[in-house]
Amino acid sequence: MTSVIGRSVTRWDTLGKVTGSAVYAGDVALPGLLHGKIKRSTVAHARIRAIDASRALALPGVRAVLTHADVPRVLHYGSPHPRSASVTKDQYILDTTVRYHGEGVAAVAADSEEIAEAALELITVDYEPLPALLTVADALAPGAPAIHAVGPGGNLVLDPVVVTRGDVAAGFAAADLIVEGTYTLGRPVPAYMEPNVCVCQWDALGKLTIWTSTQSPFMVRGTLAEVLGLPLTKVRVLVDHMGGGFGAKQDLFQHEFLCALLAQRTGRPVRMEFSRKETFLGGRTRHSGSIRLKQGFRRDGTITAREAEIVFDSGAYGSHGPGVTAVATASLTSLYRCDNVHLVGRCVYTNTPIAGAFRGYGVVQSYYALDSQMDEAAEQLGLDPAALKLMNAVRDGDLAPSGHPIVGHGLEDCIRRGLEETGWAARRAAPKSHDTGRRRRGWGMGCEMHGSSAYPGIKEQGNAIVRMNEDGTVTLFTGTTGLGTGAHTALAQITAEELGVRFEDVAVVHGDTDVVPWDIGAFASHTTYMAGRACQMAAAQVKAKVLARAADRLEVAADDLDIRDGVVTVRGVPGLSLTVADAIAAERGIPAPQLVGEDSYRPTKSYSFAAHFVEVEVDTETGQIDVVQVVPVHEIGKVIHPVAAAGQIEGGIQQGIGHTLTEDFRVDPRDGRPLNASFVDYKMPLAMDMPPIRTIILETAPDEGGPFGAKGVGEDPIIAIGPAIANAVHDAIGVRFRHYPITPEQVLAALAEKGATPTPGAADQPDQTDQ
Amino acid sequence: MTDGLHAITVTINGEARPLRVAPSRTLLDVLRTELGLTGTKKGCDVGDCGACTVLLDGTPVNACLVLAVEADGAAVTTIEGIAPAAGQLHPLQQSFMDLGASQCGFCTPGIIVMAKALLDRHPDPSEEDIRFGLAGNICRCTGYTKIIEAVKDAARRLAAAPPPAGR
Repeated sequence: MTSVIGRSVTRWDTLGKVTGSAVYAGDVALPGLLHGKIKRSTVAHARIRAIDASRALALPGVRAVLTHADVPRVLHYGSPHPRSASVTKDQYILDTTVRYHGEGVAAVAADSEEIAEAALELITVDYEPLPALLTVADALAPGAPAIHAVGPGGNLVLDPVVVTRGDVAAGFAAADLIVEGTYTLGRPVPAYMEPNVCVCQWDALGKLTIWTSTQSPFMVRGTLAEVLGLPLTKVRVLVDHMGGGFGAKQDLFQHEFLCALLAQRTGRPVRMEFSRKETFLGGRTRHSGSIRLKQGFRRDGTITAREAEIVFDSGAYGSHGPGVTAVATASLTSLYRCDNVHLVGRCVYTNTPIAGAFRGYGVVQSYYALDSQMDEAAEQLGLDPAALKLMNAVRDGDLAPSGHPIVGHGLEDCIRRGLEETGWAARRAAPKSHDTGRRRRGWGMGCEMHGSSAYPGIKEQGNAIVRMNEDGTVTLFTGTTGLGTGAHTALAQITAEELGVRFEDVAVVHGDTDVVPWDIGAFASHTTYMAGRACQMAAAQVKAKVLARAADRLEVAADDLDIRDGVVTVRGVPGLSLTVADAIAAERGIPAPQLVGEDSYRPTKSYSFAAHFVEVEVDTETGQIDVVQVVPVHEIGKVIHPVAAAGQIEGGIQQGIGHTLTEDFRVDPRDGRPLNASFVDYKMPLAMDMPPIRTIILETAPDEGGPFGAKGVGEDPIIAIGPAIANAVHDAIGVRFRHYPITPEQVLAALAEKGATPTPGAADQPDQTDQ
Repeated sequence: MTDGLHAITVTINGEARPLRVAPSRTLLDVLRTELGLTGTKKGCDVGDCGACTVLLDGTPVNACLVLAVEADGAAVTTIEGIAPAAGQLHPLQQSFMDLGASQCGFCTPGIIVMAKALLDRHPDPSEEDIRFGLAGNICRCTGYTKIIEAVKDAARRLAAAPPPAGR
């Protein structure tokens, strides 16, 4: 049988995407559809004295207005893992206090979007201003007012996360070199292309159907049911295609509750769609903040101690703050081996936009600091940074951040392969001809590891139902969401492979919470790893049933049978075979049996690894940093679909380049007003900016927990690229930046301080932006 | 036009469509709502992202920046209209599928339409031409690597077998 595992079959979701027929939540049209809009606060922190909606309600075409007085006052988890330690219960649908500029305070449903927008202008809100705490320092200052009544107090989202192993004091005492630095983290946003959108409709029996762009349909169902006081049978969540999420669309947003309530109030279907600006204001950002990191080294490069203090800015609500803080803090136990660690993570409420889950989940931040500092330490130790990282790289049997032993030598394999591919040694040894030129080039490398599940923060479960139809075709029912990664295709490949049928004979049913098995959501790089394993297990059950039927018909033992390409064959008896369809067919008037397998998989933890190698060019006259080329080497266990896996890597690198060089969602330090809530002012790397990427994928450390040894890849690629760029910039111009994004102004200022501006009359390098 | 609506006729994907539209209505909203052509996406509604790219008399435009009344008498081609015939695919569509150039797919229609405009003008574009041609189309998933490959691949396919005139 030609295995379909490792083959880049055509993803079945792409035909609709290239022809425009794929249906996204915003494409749903219903008779009598109304349009909802949210009135958003224009202050960062205030108590609402009164809201006057009378003029809005009087506007022709306005069908309903909701304020805090009109909606259930139920404290809810803004994020979808109820009762896990990863999220915080601190949100109301609409509250009497606003905690950030842009928070929804009222909602309107009207006959058209234009009327709804006009109505928003007619709603007046009387705010009693409260002190706006716009920075972590403000929020942690003694006597600072509390932003929330819930939580441990002191504006902390959760009690500090403390991770201690070994004896840090002894470790530092044994060090020949101590390196310490504070790393400052910008505030990138996911910037998914599809703005948040949902459509809600109630039926005559009081059942809500919501089409929404979410990564976690069952969490939307559960949270809506809880807040609206409904049984789960009365909430149906539909997600067909969705235009990206990158983690942030795990949360429930205000519009999902408000749209449901407006539809209930008006008795008509209502659609609510964020404008692009609202995706910034009311969306979720990566956690900004700072990391103070201190490490001790022996002369030979051995790390003797590591101490870190992470402080994350959660913004106005907790969202994934607890999970992100825990994952980031624990991540610093590993990547580079160290027996003595003392790590503290804090997450702090401020009156700024909400930070949430975003690809990399705290580890983008922590490994930017760790890997940058390793580069710095190598310089001070007189070692090649790649050699220092290689000697300290986490390896088989080491304790991972999750507490599980690492499987395999994936990280070492990535580093070694990258060194070969880039001719690293020769490049680093080459004389720096650019010391006087305008454009100066350098190479850097960065490493990362990331789990293929959220364990132990969340106890996950992947489920699958596999049904064989009477013609031998197979229907897979999965609750996982089609975020755009191609995961459903991978799940079909796994099912086909395990069952022994052709890939094209497996159809996937997804996206309807009334039909598919429960799913925790598409996040944590776990869909292929976890749901894929559940598919494999369910398919194995169906296979056993088919073989039992075939054994009767062929009059041989089931143990002697196998299925390949939809044909049952007998081991050692060539020529004796039966198609799967014949094996299960109706006979003598008796219908074909119901052949269903269903199973659940509760994963523990599996880690994927990567080393990114980057060449940059710094223009010393403009301060511009161009990434010239990237060679990412990833170890992700058995690859199910190479093209889709490479696509994850290339896209993650794009976002990581943006984080490191240009992307930063800013709020006005005086009043908390967002300053760059648009794609013109929030700069992402686009077609002209993206360098060539030469992706290399290794399969050297497969994990037996995953289907056929597969591990996750979704988050890994956004992590290592950041420190790789910062390290390459240091190689190019000798300046060590301990923050992101690194802007041209900062490059120029640093060069001026260093006295390293171009020598007048020095031979200019030709422009080699060969992108 | 006592109701404030304007009577216009736009040839959409080869078919003349008489319409009555408010003067403030964008071509994008008319395509998506009145005509049900939801393949053209709204990613920003202010001309920043390119997800709503359509061809207006052969020229790529952001449909969110064109008023529907401005398209009166013009020919508009959307993603639904670039295949040579029903049941067939334009080489760009085939290449995007074959090479994995579409992930979440929200930018895909706009990018394919923009790439078609590029290949109509430059049948044999350099990589630089392609990157420049797609400079106004935001993709957040792919890093553009496979999109560039797909456009190159489609150019090769078109050179080998030019399709019949599109609609």
